[in-house]
Amino acid sequence: MQSEAVLLPEALQPPTLFEGPVTLGSLDDQVLQYPARKPPAAWYLAFAFTFTLMTLGFSFIGYTFYMGIGVWGNTSPVFWAFDIINFVFWVGIGHAGTLISAILLLFRSRWRNAIARFAEAMTIFAVMCAAIFPLIHVGRPWVTFWLFPYPNQRGLWTNFRSPLIWDVFAVSTYFSVSLMFWYLGLVPDLASLRDRTKSGIRRFFYTVFSLGWRGAASHWQHYERAYLLLAGLATGLVLSVHSVVSFDFAVSLVPGWHMTIFPPYFVTGAIFAGFAMVVMVLVVVRETMDLKNLITAYHLDVMNKIILAMSCLMGYAYLMEGFTAWYSMDQYLHHIFMQYISGTYGWAGWLTISCNVLIPQLLWSRRIRRSYVGMLFVSLAVTVGMWLERFVIIVVSLHQDYLPSSWHIYKPTLVDFGILFGTFGLFFTLVLLFARVLPVIATSEMKVILPGAQPAHAGGRHE
Amino acid sequence: MSPRPTLAWILAALGAVGVVAALFGASPERFWANWLLWFLFVLTIGLGSLFIVALGHLVGARWSVPIRRAPERLSGLVVLAAPMALIALLSLPVLYPWARPEGALHPAIAGKAPWLNVPFFAIRVVVCFALWGLAYRILVGGSMKQDQTRDPAFSVRARRFAPAFMVIFGLTITLVAFDWISSLEPEWYSDIFGVYLFAGTFLAGLGASALVVIYLVEHGRLPGVTNDHLYNLGGFMFAFTVFWSYIGFAQYLLMWYGNMPEEIFWYKQRIEGPWLNVVLLLAVVHFLVPFFALIPRGTKGDPRGLRWVAMLVLAAHFLDLYWLILPVVGTSPPLSWPEISFALCFLGLTLLWVDRAMRSGADMPVGDPLLQEGLEFRL
Amino acid sequence: MSDGVFAVVGLFDNAQELLQAIPRVRARSLGRVEAYTPYPVHGIDAALGLRRSPLAGMVLVAGMIGAATALFFQWWMTAVDYPIVVGGKALFSWQAFVPIMFEVTVLFATFTAGLGMLFLMNRLPFFGHPLLSSKAIAAVTRDKFGLAIEAQGEAFDVEAAKTALTAAGATTLEVLPFQRELVPLQFMTRAAMGIFVSCVVAGYAMYWVIKLFPVLPPMVHMEDQPKLNPQKASAFFKDGHGMQLPVDGTVARGPLPYLIATQEEAAGLVNPLPRTHRVLQEGRTVYNQHCAVCHGLLGTGTPSLTSAYGAKPANLQGQTIRDYPDGKIYHVIMKGKNAMPSYAADLTEEERWAVVHYVRVLQRAQNARDEDFQ
Repeated sequence: MQSEAVLLPEALQPPTLFEGPVTLGSLDDQVLQYPARKPPAAWYLAFAFTFTLMTLGFSFIGYTFYMGIGVWGNTSPVFWAFDIINFVFWVGIGHAGTLISAILLLFRSRWRNAIARFAEAMTIFAVMCAAIFPLIHVGRPWVTFWLFPYPNQRGLWTNFRSPLIWDVFAVSTYFSVSLMFWYLGLVPDLASLRDRTKSGIRRFFYTVFSLGWRGAASHWQHYERAYLLLAGLATGLVLSVHSVVSFDFAVSLVPGWHMTIFPPYFVTGAIFAGFAMVVMVLVVVRETMDLKNLITAYHLDVMNKIILAMSCLMGYAYLMEGFTAWYSMDQYLHHIFMQYISGTYGWAGWLTISCNVLIPQLLWSRRIRRSYVGMLFVSLAVTVGMWLERFVIIVVSLHQDYLPSSWHIYKPTLVDFGILFGTFGLFFTLVLLFARVLPVIATSEMKVILPGAQPAHAGGRHE
Repeated sequence: MSPRPTLAWILAALGAVGVVAALFGASPERFWANWLLWFLFVLTIGLGSLFIVALGHLVGARWSVPIRRAPERLSGLVVLAAPMALIALLSLPVLYPWARPEGALHPAIAGKAPWLNVPFFAIRVVVCFALWGLAYRILVGGSMKQDQTRDPAFSVRARRFAPAFMVIFGLTITLVAFDWISSLEPEWYSDIFGVYLFAGTFLAGLGASALVVIYLVEHGRLPGVTNDHLYNLGGFMFAFTVFWSYIGFAQYLLMWYGNMPEEIFWYKQRIEGPWLNVVLLLAVVHFLVPFFALIPRGTKGDPRGLRWVAMLVLAAHFLDLYWLILPVVGTSPPLSWPEISFALCFLGLTLLWVDRAMRSGADMPVGDPLLQEGLEFRL
Repeated sequence: MSDGVFAVVGLFDNAQELLQAIPRVRARSLGRVEAYTPYPVHGIDAALGLRRSPLAGMVLVAGMIGAATALFFQWWMTAVDYPIVVGGKALFSWQAFVPIMFEVTVLFATFTAGLGMLFLMNRLPFFGHPLLSSKAIAAVTRDKFGLAIEAQGEAFDVEAAKTALTAAGATTLEVLPFQRELVPLQFMTRAAMGIFVSCVVAGYAMYWVIKLFPVLPPMVHMEDQPKLNPQKASAFFKDGHGMQLPVDGTVARGPLPYLIATQEEAAGLVNPLPRTHRVLQEGRTVYNQHCAVCHGLLGTGTPSLTSAYGAKPANLQGQTIRDYPDGKIYHVIMKGKNAMPSYAADLTEEERWAVVHYVRVLQRAQNARDEDFQ
């Protein structure tokens, strides 16, 4: 018996995941046309810009490599600055992808199918950007392989009690798991591409990378099981990776860092920043690739609601930090907290709160959730705010810790900024390449949720 | 789960005798610590259930609608907790160093006096209960009324109220954690503690709701509710078992690593000597057993298996609160006639209360427009 | 019996029709039945009678192995093989091992799930399946649903299979022939050769890279640092030397170099120490320790040493030395004389001058005047 969807008030209506007529075939035609087509001029323009930015960034990295870390602003006592801020920022951006693909799969939410592929790709690219920083921020980048515990003639092992080593394992596991998850999801789509492409080098690559997938039901069975298991494992990974990153700070005794709320606080912030980035990119994708009927206003609406929820959780975390800073009766923590909101970097503290807690409150309004200007403004604010938040946590806590004789104002250099923007260049270059070469929507997953796709059995629904 | 009322009355009466005896026979710390423990246990089950109700409304879930009446009835435990809270206010000078005059002598405690003083504390308690009462009326009262009116307007209103409730819930559960539990040792602080109590609270709500749902399903009172619905409950229990363990371990790891005297003393009290057995038991019943038990689909989606795990989850939450609160009484985990009396008395009372609640409203929210979709849910 | 046929495939237009067709086709028992769909269809596993996937159990076991492995290797590396106390924590600090245990658990579990599914369960990659070179594959990955009856046993018959499929509602039929050559041998050999050659080249290249890399700038920047190093040239100074003498007006601290070359030059040196009891005591102690062995307790020379050693220590009571100014005695201590080595390293400056005083005392003692006894 069908539910009377027509009589439901608008607030209770089921989500509109498709607009207009969509069939299995039209889905393939719409999404899989892009890997076969030459991209428009706008793509080349964008690519030129991001590629230049990326090259500039890598040049700055090369310069740092040659001259040493002294060309950055890092100095006593602010020994960690842009390097770690950027690392944490990019790892955080990656988390939204895993949440969308993995956690939402566990909840069997259907709206994830249109955006999971792109979000996962963004995760991988973000983690690649993040991984650059641990490698380049050491004094001798050519021996960063010492971070891995391998048998060596020095008779040494890495210090497993250090969160920096936990990071090495966490981020590399995160990268490999995300890559596996993303690639497995791509296999059926690559098979579709293989079968649509008549000949040529592209067909060769699709053939090889689709592994001979043929859509056998006995294969789908194991595939689905593996996918679900991977989703469960990746969920645990989302929680743990950014928690391990937060441990970099929270296990120390620096005032303002040794707060027990850091693990869930960082995870929340990561999801928050990641969703903002996903929203920004998806707005561009759905417009330029004409995918508005598949990535609907509902998708953007629900993602904005998640951003709003995360913003409220961030507000809670800030409240907790502030309250505990007072409650602790610890003069050093008091001082640092005052530095967060006044002092040389007080502007950063206030800007962070505005961007992360105040501006996203605009998303309570349905109109703003569904308007490009509104959501882009909020997402941009969130991205800036989350970067600034890491800046505040790291730089402010370090620049005036226990010993006043060590206090020093930190000033970033051109090289710092150059590398940061370079990683944005890298990220968006990879995003553009991805959109050019691979299907940005997982067609096999979309087909599952098309109306009429699943045979009715005993009137069951899957929501 | 729900025994005949007579048995519950007998238990409660026996227990009450013992409680009164403990008032005179046991040390005041022990009496009040037990009172606090049971008050918080009852409160967190009620709050956890109310959270489940609001969460369902917030995300517009369909699958949870047919079973929503169970947590709705359980959230009435918040009302039972209200008089318990008022009486617990009498425990302040006994259990809480800051409520005693000599608290002003310690600078770490005296400095917190603007927050930790009896009048402000009492106001906070009253405000929390007022807010919870308001939420209860809106969410649960409205749902019961919807049984008669069949008006979808309530569902829309509940959906609009749910985010506000989440804000209220987040702040008030944090207050419960900070005020009632962590201020037992006012020098100590941990800003994740609100999240920690939230995790345990949600699990308590899930466990209790699952027990009620299974009871109703087995008595045929929830036609159309299948193992698939139970599977989702089991899935949440699994996820939040992992979440609780993660939060608990994160707090411990950070304090162990820093090893600062002003933080680590709290753990030293709770993991050294006889309390070590309690914390090991806690790790086993709150993490190891439910984690491995809930992995197979057979436990998650089968009423028989799920019932045992739900009972274990509830018991584990109780043990968690016991481990948090009772160390202030002494270096040895107390387990004797006062504890047993309290257990009999309040278990009996809770069962009686729940039994009464099971008679209010229909067993399913029959007026909810999404009920049919919810019953059609299949994995 | 049909030689050279792998299967007969029928295509259906939607999942519902496929699901209804499966029991009908299976009832004919013509061979193994496999379905091909563009996406996973619910209920198809049960319809085809597929056994539950064992992946979950495998993943659980792999995860537990991962946890145990991580715990073991961290314990061994931190508490056994290279034990170092860090941060005052115990050697077996299990709390610190938990994060990596978790990550390795997930890693092992994930790779088991992904690779196990591909290689073990689905036996992919496999490029030789007959369906891949058929007309049906393009439809099956796009929007059609395939049902295949595979030629496995005696009961299989192409016509019977075709009839069964059509009766069940298939719109298109196709017969899939066996691939003679599943994977071309030439391709395999070429691929293997390619991989082997790449490994050799890569290995050789890596060897040279690792050998040369550390001696290229900027890796050598830490060795060739633009600062003053001992015994290195320096462009900073006019004469190109890194090591320079101290400038005029440098305040000396500690022992100064003794620049006086001859005893005659040293004659002008004045004993800076006063003739106090303490100084003379010190002089006596030092003299008895260092000088008496050759010059005798009274300064006259030790007969036993003379006969054993051959050299003749100077007689300090002799007129020559009694006439020496203090400076000349000091000079002999500093530079030695004839067979006597320099005692500059053995005595501090104060000790040297104290000894000079004491020698004077010895001399006076052997040549006392009458007034000394009053």
